[in-house]
Amino acid sequence: MNAATFAERLAAYLPVLLQGAAMTLAAAVAAIVLGFAGGAVLLGVSMRRGGRGFLPAAVRTYLSFFRGTPLLVQLLMLFYLPSAYGINLPPLIVAIAALGLNSAAFQCEILRAGLVAVPVGQIEAAASFGILPARIFRHVQLPQLARAVWPAVVSEAIDVVKGSAIISVISVADLARGGRQIVSANFRPLEVYLSVGACYLLMTGAVLLLGVWISRRMART
Amino acid sequence: MDQPADGAHVIDFVLLGQLLPVFGAAALRTVMLTLVGLVGGLVCGFCFHALRETGWRMAACVYQVYTGVWRGMPFLIHLFIVYFGLPNAGISLDPFAAAGLTLAVYGGAYFAEIFRACWQSIPRGQIEAARCMGLPARQIFRVIECPQALRASLPLIASQTILLMKESALASVVTYPELTMTAGKVVSAQFVYVEPYLLLALCYWGLSLLINLAARALRARFAI
Repeated sequence: MNAATFAERLAAYLPVLLQGAAMTLAAAVAAIVLGFAGGAVLLGVSMRRGGRGFLPAAVRTYLSFFRGTPLLVQLLMLFYLPSAYGINLPPLIVAIAALGLNSAAFQCEILRAGLVAVPVGQIEAAASFGILPARIFRHVQLPQLARAVWPAVVSEAIDVVKGSAIISVISVADLARGGRQIVSANFRPLEVYLSVGACYLLMTGAVLLLGVWISRRMART
Repeated sequence: MDQPADGAHVIDFVLLGQLLPVFGAAALRTVMLTLVGLVGGLVCGFCFHALRETGWRMAACVYQVYTGVWRGMPFLIHLFIVYFGLPNAGISLDPFAAAGLTLAVYGGAYFAEIFRACWQSIPRGQIEAARCMGLPARQIFRVIECPQALRASLPLIASQTILLMKESALASVVTYPELTMTAGKVVSAQFVYVEPYLLLALCYWGLSLLINLAARALRARFAI
């Protein structure tokens, strides 16, 4: 395995890997956005009527289930159970839905932890000045909440990118799938999977750097 | 697909009963894999943490690379490198050894970071005071730092253990017959979907709750 030929082989891998990486990123971004929206809704529902009643209990069950079972199992259930009833969904939709539903549970807990970061006294003080609840949320709670939850959101985003590797199991053409394709053609698993790993490392590193950059900008304002 | 008969009843409880022993055995294999990952990971993580605590610049570099690379890549890819890739380098592992080893080294990267965070939570003043009283570094580590930091790390170790248990499902991809692979086998052999996947999710869910309970008991036991 001398260096020049490895470089040539790597050049041949790159188009496949880049195509896979684009799919991985697209699925991960969709799932993170879906997860954030879902997490916010779950948090809102779970806090209704002080957490008593049917809906908040259902949300607690949802959170416990999605945080307590493997992503792979959730993905397989979402893929195979509808097909048992004759409903065939496209793999990419199932993949994004599974990643998003899973991430929603984790992002709900992140947002819940962030809400505690804003002292109640500030909200009471703002309310006693006659500021409307919507404006209190926008100008008092939101900036502090965003700063408090940002690091956890970034690490969740990295987890989603990493977790997305398993969508290759239901034959979505992502980065991991690209690696398996190359291996099945050239039988050089070590160098191929190391290259795939390096691609993931670059992507998670980029997410981390972007997160740090944005958090610096948030700190400035 | 011959599914129309399934529409009549939602869950076949007879089949569920037949599957129970199979899933029980598979759950034991999942537990074993998780235990290997937990114990191996704790040892691996603690060694790297201790290495970092020595203060050598080289050690800090090694630590950075280890935690950065192992936490920056998906577990699935690590597993592929170890199971499919290492034979290229002359190291062939069976599915259990490959999954256990990968889980341990992967978990170790997270455990090392947990230990680092907990060690940093100890006030510097305590260590300075101990040094003033003439305690040797080794004794400071053993008597002052370890008891406090390890107690603080318990809840974090518990949630990391749940994560490892969930990652162990990927061992099914390299054909180790744990829970997920067992469910897949039942599905492809009997063409039933609902019962095996229901049981599969319940098994993992139950294991997660058990780990939570065990962690709570341990915390109560070691509370100050």
